[in-house]
Amino acid sequence: MKRSSLIRDLEAAIGRRWVLSAPEDLLVYEYDATIDRGLPEAVVLPEDAEGVAKAVRIARKHGAPVTARGAGTGLSGGAIPCEGGVVIVTTRMNRILELDPENRIAVVEPGVINLDISHAAVPYRLYYAPDPSSQKACSIGGNVAENAGGPHCLRYGTTTNHVLGLEIVTADGDVVWLGGKTADTPGYDLTGIVVGSEGTLAIVTKVIVRLLHKPEATITLLAIFDAVTQASRAVSAIIGKGMLPAALEMMDKNTMEAVEPFVHAGYPPDAGAVLLIEVEGLKEDTQEQADLAASICRDLNAREIRIGLSQEDRDKLWAGRKGALGALGRLAPSYYILDGVIPRTLLPTVLDGVYEACERFGFRVANVFHAGDGNLHPNVMFDERVPGATQKVLDLGEAIMRLCVDAGGSITGEHGVGYEKRNYMSWIFSEDDLEVMSRLKAAFRASESFNPGKVFPTSKGCGEVSSRMRAAIARVGADAYV
Amino acid sequence: MVAQVTMLDDLRTIVGDKHARPPDGSQRLAVDGMNPQAVVEPGSYEEVGAVMRYADEARLAVIPLGGGTQRHTGNLPARYELALSLSRLDQIIEHEPADLTVTCQSGISVQELQRRLRLNGQRVPFDLSPRQQASVGGVLATNTNGPSRAASGALRDFTIGMRVVTADGRITRAGGKVVKNVAGYDLCKLYIGSLGTLGVIVEATFKVMPIAACERSVTLRVPGAWDACALATELYRRGLALSHVQLSSTRNDRDNGWLLEIGLAGSDGAVERSENEIASLAPGANARPASAGGSATERFSSEDFDGSSLLCRFSVLPTRLAAFIGEVQRLETPDIVAAPATGVVRAAWPETDEAMIVERGREIAASHSATCVVERCSPELKQRVDVFGEPPPAFELMHRVKQQFDPKGILSPGRFVGRL
Repeated sequence: MKRSSLIRDLEAAIGRRWVLSAPEDLLVYEYDATIDRGLPEAVVLPEDAEGVAKAVRIARKHGAPVTARGAGTGLSGGAIPCEGGVVIVTTRMNRILELDPENRIAVVEPGVINLDISHAAVPYRLYYAPDPSSQKACSIGGNVAENAGGPHCLRYGTTTNHVLGLEIVTADGDVVWLGGKTADTPGYDLTGIVVGSEGTLAIVTKVIVRLLHKPEATITLLAIFDAVTQASRAVSAIIGKGMLPAALEMMDKNTMEAVEPFVHAGYPPDAGAVLLIEVEGLKEDTQEQADLAASICRDLNAREIRIGLSQEDRDKLWAGRKGALGALGRLAPSYYILDGVIPRTLLPTVLDGVYEACERFGFRVANVFHAGDGNLHPNVMFDERVPGATQKVLDLGEAIMRLCVDAGGSITGEHGVGYEKRNYMSWIFSEDDLEVMSRLKAAFRASESFNPGKVFPTSKGCGEVSSRMRAAIARVGADAYV
Repeated sequence: MVAQVTMLDDLRTIVGDKHARPPDGSQRLAVDGMNPQAVVEPGSYEEVGAVMRYADEARLAVIPLGGGTQRHTGNLPARYELALSLSRLDQIIEHEPADLTVTCQSGISVQELQRRLRLNGQRVPFDLSPRQQASVGGVLATNTNGPSRAASGALRDFTIGMRVVTADGRITRAGGKVVKNVAGYDLCKLYIGSLGTLGVIVEATFKVMPIAACERSVTLRVPGAWDACALATELYRRGLALSHVQLSSTRNDRDNGWLLEIGLAGSDGAVERSENEIASLAPGANARPASAGGSATERFSSEDFDGSSLLCRFSVLPTRLAAFIGEVQRLETPDIVAAPATGVVRAAWPETDEAMIVERGREIAASHSATCVVERCSPELKQRVDVFGEPPPAFELMHRVKQQFDPKGILSPGRFVGRL
């Protein structure tokens, strides 16, 4: 096959070995954990910021859009390439460059796997707090792009609260530092803008992250309820009492039914919902908080409360939660993972609305989610092969997002907007709001070069992908969870 | 440029006769000695929008003002024609205690907001002791954080939404009202600390937190900065129930070493245990109990402190803090407060050779890879130096952001980094 001049330029700059252009090689990179796909013209794997900058400049010269890609575990299509574009993969940039336990910071390359930072920090009793579902597989660069969350973000915040500085490559191909290792750096907080910008403003080549001390004590409680409503009332009551657990997760009946045969978590077959409540801190505080949470749950008719103190017992209580997504995958050929946020006091009513909508559309739904911060993850089971099912499940997704927005919430709490939800952006932001956001794209001069067609409803799409919005179906491993 | 009389007439048609005036000669509106031609006090977001559209049309330089306690920050304004006071926008819009969020207008004072939240046993984790009249909007625009940051986060961590009026008068929203939200660019981060150069903050939504069951404080006197910092580090490492730790030294009392003020918050048991552990660790740092009175913290938060002539804020890596504050202390003995967990240091000098101090202070900062911002100095010095120091590496990007958000340069022109 005759190679294009774009490919030849990339090969000359990055090395032939690190530029993929054969169709069979490109296939691997045309999708992420969603089902949309786009075939790039070339995939490059630079080893450092300079390599990224070279690739960006070459792509620019050839007018090819650039999409950055970490581990490809994203759930909103952020890493899906533009047809004919260049994908810059950060896999080779996977070194932890610096770990400074005394100042509790680490400088890492974007391809470093999230969990590996915490592993490297074990000797110092430190860890990196944001813990997205795909923690064992997802890269820190992708976490930064999507402002990834996770169960423990209830107490500790999402990625943006743990990133102090970034080295980025701009659309002009310049390498620039934002923020830094110290608490304050003069100027606009561009770090806070690039985090969560879904690859549309810059490509991140180094990340300075904050590490936290491991808590002295952790207690995990599993509260079993007869009905979802009781469990969601307990969530509201726990937050309303001013408790801030490290994690507060809910699983409904459908989830438990799916999980039980595989994980043997011991959930009663007739239970309506379980709450996983984790409290951390000094042992004095932890015990008091655990007692309070237990008494709130009992007052709201929890039929049973299990308490895990040891690591082993706690792992057992978490096993069902962590295995949930993998188990759900066995119930239906496909499932659509939704991500919406609501004010926590409205959990009981909105959750009712979700079940009602699923019934109306004729789909089975399993709710397994970050109840403490009102971050819903309805997982809608369907069969892609049934004609019309995909469109119908997308319509259901839209109806559920409407419920969240009508409750005063948001269309995404941690998965990002990407392709999937860009047309919902105008539900929560006015044209003026979006225009102001787009000024940042102009300031970064990234408008048509970095991940065009994502996040903004009015942007031009990039070729085929945008014209066939389809349901996002998780292609995650059995041990993943949302 | 429009004449003052015309301007007042025009503004009065927007906000009503009572709410647009010439300055009264009290210097209440002065920024670095400059006075505007008029002050306008809009009573609604729409009025703020109309005022901005008018200013945009007439190319009037606008400085948004809250409580006016931070007017000394930033570079000299390039121009200053209109003071946009947010004092009438002082309402709490929404507070659902069980959601642990609050939405308020930006002109409300921090004190009033906290008073109202306290009725429900809650607070926004702002700085420990803001000036009495400091407004929520002013605290956000100047990114004023305190020593509680290590425990409760900085403004950028607990601000989840805003309404901002753009330079051309559009009322826009950033973020939202829910605690977790990744839809679109996180513009709140951009506006926090932007010193009124990108938009006028008219409303903000915060995460609130419950006030702890037990709050106490312990004050120790520690002879050496190294010992004091090491002790503070150990307290954090143990995960004790700390709400803040602050180290201070006053110029009149420098021979007595450092005051270490430790705030404790948590359950009774956790606070009691923390106190016990502090007591057992103290001898190792040669620390002995002291009274908190007359500390630099008190001085830094008092009104009469506004009289000090030079105030600098440094940000240094925590491991270099002890060496750093030792060197700063030898520079004509300023009052110093420092947060050992974050490495943020503020130092204040009375009447002094401020140009020399700033130059030396910056040399010391550079040798410790610290940043240095002059928070207060004379307008004369501001003419010669950029209070933010050398432009940061991303200055070109920041410049383009400013151009995009304020193409006519009417929002606090000249006051930001690199005189943006």
